[in-house]
Amino acid sequence: MAKQSRRSEFLTEVGNISAFTGKFFREGFKPRYEWSELFRQCYIIGYESLPLVGITAFIMGLVLTVQSRPTLEEFGAASYLPAMVAVSIVREIGPVITALICAGKIGSSIGAELGSMRVTEQIDAMEVSGTNPFKYLVVTRVIACTMMLPILVVLADGIGLYASYIGVNLKGIVSWNLYTTQVFESLTFSDVMPALVKTYFFGFAIGIIGCYKGYFSNKGTEGVGIAANSAVVVSSLMIFVIDLIAVQIADILGLT
Amino acid sequence: MSSEENIVIRTEKLVKSFGENHVLKGFDLELNRGENLVVLGKSGSGKSVLIKCMVGLLYPDAGVVSVFGKEIPKLTQIELDQLRTKIGFLFQSSALYDSMTVRENLEFPLRRHWMHKSKEEVNELVIEALRNVGLERAVDLMPSELSGGMRKRIGLARTLILKPEIMLYDEPTTGLDPITGREISNLIVAIQEKYHTSSIIITHDMECAKIVANRIMILIDGLKYKVGTYEELKNSDDPKIKPFFA
Repeated sequence: MAKQSRRSEFLTEVGNISAFTGKFFREGFKPRYEWSELFRQCYIIGYESLPLVGITAFIMGLVLTVQSRPTLEEFGAASYLPAMVAVSIVREIGPVITALICAGKIGSSIGAELGSMRVTEQIDAMEVSGTNPFKYLVVTRVIACTMMLPILVVLADGIGLYASYIGVNLKGIVSWNLYTTQVFESLTFSDVMPALVKTYFFGFAIGIIGCYKGYFSNKGTEGVGIAANSAVVVSSLMIFVIDLIAVQIADILGLT
Repeated sequence: MSSEENIVIRTEKLVKSFGENHVLKGFDLELNRGENLVVLGKSGSGKSVLIKCMVGLLYPDAGVVSVFGKEIPKLTQIELDQLRTKIGFLFQSSALYDSMTVRENLEFPLRRHWMHKSKEEVNELVIEALRNVGLERAVDLMPSELSGGMRKRIGLARTLILKPEIMLYDEPTTGLDPITGREISNLIVAIQEKYHTSSIIITHDMECAKIVANRIMILIDGLKYKVGTYEELKNSDDPKIKPFFA
C-alpha cells in the first residue's frame, strides 16, 4: 500500500513538473518580456557562478592530467596525454561537472529564494499588484539558466585545458603550441557539438526544477529548506538522465 | 447613486473548501463605497480566504464574488490584472520584496502599470507615498532593516501608490505592540478620509476594529453571523458575540 502511494506520489510529481514545463513554453514567448529581470538573472547565474566553476574546472583539469599520466606512461603513450585529457574534458567531464556545480549553487539558490517568497506571500503580493509572477520569476530564471550554462561550460573547458597544460608540464616539457595543436587535432565536430547541445538541456533542467520546487514550496520555513534541497537532488539526477539520453542519441546519429 | 451602484464588492453564498475542511459555507457580504467594513472571526475561520477570493488569489467552489460588478472567476487574466490595479491588498506579513530596497519596492508596481511616468515623476510619487505613512527616511533601506511596524507602513505605502479604490487589509495589526497597532489603525482611517477608499479589514484585534470600523461583520462557522456597528455588537447579549468583546 505504502509502495503504491509512493509510486502515485512520484507520478503526480512527474505530471506536475511536466505541466509546469508546459506552462513555461506557453507563457515564456508571450509578451510582456521581462528584459531587465532576465539580464539581472543572467548576471547572477552566469557571472557570479564563474569563480566557483573556474576553480573547479582548474582543479579538475590538473588532477585528471596528473592521474592519467602513470597509466599512459605504462603503455608508452604519454604523448597522447593532451589529446586524451582534451577529449575527456570537452565531451563529458566539463559539461557534467559544471552542470553539477551549478545544480548545487544555482538550483538551491533558486529553490530557496522562490520558496521563501512563497512562504512570505511575496509571490501573492506580486500577483495582486497585477504582475504575472510566473513570467517575472520563473521564465526569466529558466531562460537565464539555459543561456548561461553553455557559456559556463565553454569557459570551464578552457580553464580545465589550461590547467591540463600546467599538469603536463609538471613532469616534462611541452610547449604551448605543441599542446594546443595536439588538443585541437584530437577534437572533432562530434566531440564538441553533442557536448555543447546537451548543456542547454542541463541548464533548462536546473532552472525548471529549481523554480518548480521553490514556486510550489509548502508553507513554513521547513518548506524552504526542503525546496532548496530537493531542487539540488532532483536536478543533479536529471543531469545524469539527460547525459544518458544524450549519449544514446549521439550514438544513434553516429556522433560518438 | 442607487444602492446597487453604491456596492463595490459583493459575495453571495460563497463556498470554499480545502479537502474536508469547509471554510466558507455560503458567505454573503456587501461592501459599500467609501466605508470601512471590519470582518471579525476566530483564527482559521476563513477571513483571509474570503479576501483572497476577492482578488483572484483563490477561486470559490460555488457562489458569487464580484468587484465593481465584475465576477472575478469569469474574468480573463488581462481583465483580472486590470481590475487588480484598483484593489490594494495589505498582507499580514507585509510581503515586501526582500531583494529590493524600499524605493524599489514602491517603484515596482509603478514601473509596471504607469510606464509613461518619467524618473522624476516616479521619484515624486515614491516620496509622497512614504510621506503619507511617515517614513520618508526609510527610502533607501532594505526590508530586513525595518521593524514590524515600519514594514506594515511601507507595505501600505506600496499598496497605496497606485491609488486603489478598494483596500483589503489582512490582519493589519497582528504581531505589533499596542501603540504601533493603534498608529496603523489611525493610518487606515486617515487613508479612508484622504483617498475615499472602500476597505475590508480582516482582524481579531478589537482595538483596531473600534478605531477603523464603520460596520462590523462577524464570521462564524463559514457564515455571516451578525452585522452592526461596534457599539451595537458590543452591547449585544448574544453568547456567540460576547466573547469577541470580552
